Amino acid sequence: MIIIGECIHVISRGVREAIEKRDKGFIRDMALGQVESGAQMLDLNIGPQRKTGPEVMGWMVDTIQEVTDAPLSLDTTNAAAIEAGLKLCRRKAMINSTTAAPERLAQAMPLAARYDANIIALTMRETGLPVSADARIEIAADELASAAEYGVPLDNIYFDPLVMTVNGCQEHAPEVIKATRASKEVLDPSLKTICGLSNISNGALRQARPILNRVFLVMMLGAGLDSAILDPFDGELMEAIRIIGNRDDSTPLGRLYLALYDSYASEEEFDPHIADMSDPEQSDVIKTIRVLENKTIYAHSYLGL
Amino acid sequence: MPPLEIPREKWIGRVNEVTLGGNGRREIKIGGESTLPFLHFDGSIPNRPVVAIEVQDREPLDWPPHLVSAWGEALRHPQTWAKKAVEFGADIIVLRLRSAHPEEGDTGASEARESVDRVLSAVDLPIIVLGPEVTEKDNEVLVAAAEVARGQRIGLGNCVEKNYRTIAASCMANGHIAIASTPIEINIAKQLNILLCDIGLKPDTIIMDPTTGALGYGIEYTCSVMERLRLAALGGESMTAMPMLSDVGNEVWRQKEARFTEGVPPSWGDHLERSIIWEEMTATTLLGAGADIVVLRHPRSVEIVKGTIEKLMVRV
Repeated sequence: MIIIGECIHVISRGVREAIEKRDKGFIRDMALGQVESGAQMLDLNIGPQRKTGPEVMGWMVDTIQEVTDAPLSLDTTNAAAIEAGLKLCRRKAMINSTTAAPERLAQAMPLAARYDANIIALTMRETGLPVSADARIEIAADELASAAEYGVPLDNIYFDPLVMTVNGCQEHAPEVIKATRASKEVLDPSLKTICGLSNISNGALRQARPILNRVFLVMMLGAGLDSAILDPFDGELMEAIRIIGNRDDSTPLGRLYLALYDSYASEEEFDPHIADMSDPEQSDVIKTIRVLENKTIYAHSYLGL
Repeated sequence: MPPLEIPREKWIGRVNEVTLGGNGRREIKIGGESTLPFLHFDGSIPNRPVVAIEVQDREPLDWPPHLVSAWGEALRHPQTWAKKAVEFGADIIVLRLRSAHPEEGDTGASEARESVDRVLSAVDLPIIVLGPEVTEKDNEVLVAAAEVARGQRIGLGNCVEKNYRTIAASCMANGHIAIASTPIEINIAKQLNILLCDIGLKPDTIIMDPTTGALGYGIEYTCSVMERLRLAALGGESMTAMPMLSDVGNEVWRQKEARFTEGVPPSWGDHLERSIIWEEMTATTLLGAGADIVVLRHPRSVEIVKGTIEKLMVRV
């Protein structure tokens, strides 16, 4: 899978201040740190930056390209800023993102075509975000039609079923997984898939966020996820990715992750009985699976039950 | 052809049975069902849903005239109001200590003690005491209420995320029931139950108030939260298995459909009839979503809702 580092994000105070002060050192360290931790691409979320979008994105791209040649994902709703970044990117860039709203498509798709960039297509319309996997796929189909119209090769489209937080939108989680699978099976040609992983645990208790992220990622990988925007500094998350990638079954936790991955890959119900519930690590994974499958209701203290 | 087999749900869970009252006071059991509301064929409903009537500690000055006239002079004193509520068929008296609200009198523990004591002496029905929904004031008046009613197993609310420790301690010390209130949010509803049990409250001493909107004011969202809580309980999730209370009258009578006698289109029809329909339909809808206690204000809606419960409790 392709690991896209999420840490250069305007929500982070350090990043915000670095943008304001044009502090190259901070951004470079953040970029290099993520690459060294295993990120193969870097997401640059600069926010809308209504006034200075193009300048900020240009500065950001230049700054990062001075220290790494990792490809970049340009993450803003500001089309002018995206274009400024695309002009400077030395390697094939990613546009993050478009929805199915006609005005967003009309801005983003021509840019993707002109600069031969990849583009993330979110399953969202101007009317909102559906729950069901079917409705998500319908939106993707519309976005594919738009891409064809604007001359964007389908190979450049990354389908993002839009992960929602389990705290408040729990019913979305299984549908997001289903949509990921369906995008591979139903759509012809099948699409590349991507997701913003940390959304799943947004608003969850800090202690529970990492396990929600990594268990959800294993499930999504089983369903056919090709890439994810995530926190490469999260060692346990990167370890889970490694376990799946290497099929490392040398530890009980590794065997549990692999069993979960395999059950999602073969579309068979996961059998929780393979876990040793006396081991807190494994029992936490099982509790998390039940929450992510929407079988037990999420509560902040779900791991303590 | 073989006879048609009606498919049955097999539930593994059951709603907790909670007892209010006792120790000289009339006892009432709520909850205990092992099926969705009124679906007698899938499980048992040992206790029918009940109707509570709301009484306030001070005469309400902002009630619409058609609600005031249903009660008359009785509204002046909580004890006369409570007695009349018994005549009108209340199963439970809900005493709302509204005057403790900083903007409605800011009364404190001693006034609360007095009001609770008067209602306790006036009627022998189970009592639920609700604070003014301002956390610090809730703590003050509910702790006082808990002490006065020691051993009589009254309900105490609002017990919310901010003050649950105080209310839980007061319930445990005096043998009462916590009314755990959350803002139409299923995850917080479950979390508050977990927190309450973690500090030592027994699950069968908790009633949930998942909060409701009135008919036309987001009731469908409440219904979906209540249904999911109930489905989870029947599916075996013990931390959602608390019976539910819906504070119906409080929501209904602040909406223009129930309040206004003037300034609304003539096509809305008779205002008294409309108000009662609004309260009755809100209550009936929430009973269908799993409410075990509905709290009402107008005697006529009490009568209608009790009649509806009666009919729905008949096994066919």
